[in-house]
Amino acid sequence: MKQMKKVLIIALALAMATAVVSGCASDSGYEESKGASASDTASKSSEEDMSNGDRIIAAAKEGKVGNWGLGNEYEILALLTKYEQEPKYLAQSFDMDGFDDDSIVLASAMTYNELGLVKNSYEGGYDYGDSVGIIDMNDEGVAMLEDNLFCTKEFAKKNPNTVKAFVYASMKGWKYACENPEEAAQIVYEAGSSVSSDHQAYMASEVKKLVETDTKGETVTEYGNMDEEAMQQTLDLAKKYISLDDKTAADKLQTLTLDDIRDTSFLAAGKNFDTPEKKDVSIQLKWLPQCQFMGYYVAKAKGYYEEVGLNVDIISGGGDIGETTAVNNGTVDFGVTWVSNLISADAGGMNLVEVAQVFQRSGLVLVYKK
Amino acid sequence: MLLWIILLIVLWEIFASVVTQTKRTPENVMPHLSGVIDSIFSDKRINGSQTAFEMIIENAGATLSRAGIGYLIGIALGFVLALLMSLSGVIEKIAFPYLMLIQLIPILGMAPIINAITGDIAVSRIVIAAILTFYPVATNTIAGFKAVEPAKHELMYSYAASKFQIYTKTMIPFCIPYLFTGLKISAPMAITASILVDTLQGGIGLGCLLSQSLKGAMTRYVFWDIVFFSAFIGILSFYLMSVIENLLCRYKRAGGSGKKG
Amino acid sequence: MRGLKKGSLSQQRDKIESIVYPVLFGVLIMILWQTGVLHKMLNTDDYILPYPDKIVGIISDNSDMIMVNVWASVEVALCGLFLGSLIGYIIAIAATSFPTYGTGGLTIVSAFNAVPIVALAPVIINWTKDVSSVAEERSMVAKILVVTVTSMASMSVNAYRGLTELPPFSDDLMKTYAAGRLTEFVKLRLPNSVPYIFTALRVSVPGSVIGALVSEYFAEYIVGVGRQIRENILIAQYATAWAYIIVACMIGIMLYAMLMIAEAVFLRKRR
Repeated sequence: MKQMKKVLIIALALAMATAVVSGCASDSGYEESKGASASDTASKSSEEDMSNGDRIIAAAKEGKVGNWGLGNEYEILALLTKYEQEPKYLAQSFDMDGFDDDSIVLASAMTYNELGLVKNSYEGGYDYGDSVGIIDMNDEGVAMLEDNLFCTKEFAKKNPNTVKAFVYASMKGWKYACENPEEAAQIVYEAGSSVSSDHQAYMASEVKKLVETDTKGETVTEYGNMDEEAMQQTLDLAKKYISLDDKTAADKLQTLTLDDIRDTSFLAAGKNFDTPEKKDVSIQLKWLPQCQFMGYYVAKAKGYYEEVGLNVDIISGGGDIGETTAVNNGTVDFGVTWVSNLISADAGGMNLVEVAQVFQRSGLVLVYKK
Repeated sequence: MLLWIILLIVLWEIFASVVTQTKRTPENVMPHLSGVIDSIFSDKRINGSQTAFEMIIENAGATLSRAGIGYLIGIALGFVLALLMSLSGVIEKIAFPYLMLIQLIPILGMAPIINAITGDIAVSRIVIAAILTFYPVATNTIAGFKAVEPAKHELMYSYAASKFQIYTKTMIPFCIPYLFTGLKISAPMAITASILVDTLQGGIGLGCLLSQSLKGAMTRYVFWDIVFFSAFIGILSFYLMSVIENLLCRYKRAGGSGKKG
Repeated sequence: MRGLKKGSLSQQRDKIESIVYPVLFGVLIMILWQTGVLHKMLNTDDYILPYPDKIVGIISDNSDMIMVNVWASVEVALCGLFLGSLIGYIIAIAATSFPTYGTGGLTIVSAFNAVPIVALAPVIINWTKDVSSVAEERSMVAKILVVTVTSMASMSVNAYRGLTELPPFSDDLMKTYAAGRLTEFVKLRLPNSVPYIFTALRVSVPGSVIGALVSEYFAEYIVGVGRQIRENILIAQYATAWAYIIVACMIGIMLYAMLMIAEAVFLRKRR
């Protein structure tokens, strides 16, 4: 017992010593960072009128451009190549801590998600407000289209009416969601999303912009429209910047045309379809349940799927097995993915086809501290 | 034991204080334990309908039941394989290197294939948990069979006992302590595996919740809750196995190899 | 059991058999795989499970890049394994010397094993953010630490057994020689623990490879076999992913084979 006490005392003393030492260390670290920020403000006036190009070049030279990778990086690679920089980036984790502590100077962010967290002060936010600037992929001419709706070619051929009905009801859902973003946010929240309702509302308003504006900033009226020019640009950039180690896949990538990856007939059919061949269908989202996918949640909640005779199960994504795999091996019927991911999957040997393009412009930006 | 826990807590809190002072988002790096405990019992709704506690319990139920089923399948497979290997030298020679190899295949590689075979996410999760747990069971059981004292073995032969009798009367009872060594190792592994497999695809499960929290879909405290919860459950499963072993072996201390684990 | 009274000739036969049989089995599987029978049995297609010749083709096409990734992963696995085993052994020594408190420490260390590695890796990467301003360095430290933690437990538990489960009466014998604690330790306990060290390594060598792969999933600096597997699975390049999976298995097999050789050399000397 006595010995026990002794050891306890020693342990406590040790712990206190560590605390003091680490405290000192952190103090000096704090001083240092203060000093650094002071010099930052001094040089700020000269940095104010830095162009996007200068920022990208400076950050790339330091090796501090961040992206999540894993198939999300192609626009960044295109951007770096555009400014003649080595196409290399740091793997960014899914929070913005790296941006916050300056280990990443130019951090990737989706306008509807990470950018909101950086700017806003609600739960999980970093409260930078307007002290951050963004480089928009659409303005830089390297935009690639993101969230779409797809299934396998085989499924589309076997169940044309199911696909038409699903596309029709989903787009109806998207229309309603974009017209009533606040209600949509509430619907998604109630559907079991764990994103805070403040952030959800922000996300809904930003996603609305992506759905209703094209890469040139013009308004789009037809939901799910597959714009030839933007699709072609996406495919061209994909051919350049998706590097595949598998030679057959790399060769196939170069031969792909728009007709291989999308089919406009299902969207064009509009309301003209017969009873669906398959009634119970599921859709795998690209990411966690949040307003990025509000159209589908709204269509389900408002009974649009029921109206066309479908019973839809919405499965959230965000795991390491991609939505393309899940759709391809038949665990789910439909999927939401980025066009570039669909392209690389088809190049690799899958037979996927896009049936609607929900996001009309790129939602990816690089965010920096002014 | 208690001392170590106190020491760990003290150390954690010291670092947590440092982190709180220097980082803007301390909960992403190292939160105070009080914050973690708070977050478990707070009434705040994380998603539309559940508090953190309710959410973790619901998801833990899914994960643990899958881990449990996978564990049982893994035990059965491991034991049968060990039995086969001990019965036939050819099977032993063939299977041994491949047993090793299966452990080396990253789960991420196996998962899509098993997914395609089963066509169901929940089933493939069970299968993977089984695959990952049966190795320790099999190897330890084999070790048990091998360790049957040759003298005992020969005695049985001299009684002209049949092969079946030899197995049921001496070998299987003898290898029970060894089997339990395997069971104790693999119980936390089954849970870890189940959580790991959860993270590969969405749906319900602790791993899904963990990766969602890590990806910023909910407060980071949920992540910490799960880290501590899974560690706790893992240790608990280990002790559960020890308790079962003690119950089973109380009336037959014969094995007597006195493993302390 | 069967080999109890075996002559050297049959022993040799035994050895050859234990190499030939698995190889034959492997060849059989390869044939089934290449001819597509395996795909039918597993109800999958040549997309999720590509043919062996395609996988081999990809490996040989990209051998330079693959080697870069392999070295990165091997470095992490070995450094982590070494550090983890060292720390594990030290803990075991501490537990032997101060049994009152030490055994509790052992339990704590093995408790770390119950924390899923997918949770551990991002945490450690966050903790090591301030180690270096160069992403490559801090990622390296983080990855090594993950492997260290995962390989610590098996070493400490096994080494502790090696240090305490002594041959009968050897302890008393040492006492009758009036040997000091240090002598007892060096002459008796330390040698006694060597086979147990190898038992521990048999578990932790494959573990360290898996640990290295998983830690690469989350590391900031993009390199390593694990990262390549994850990236290729996510962008649905299964042939390439399989190439890296095969490479990962190879790393594991190589390290394990090296361990076996080391074990044979060390333990033979002791007999």
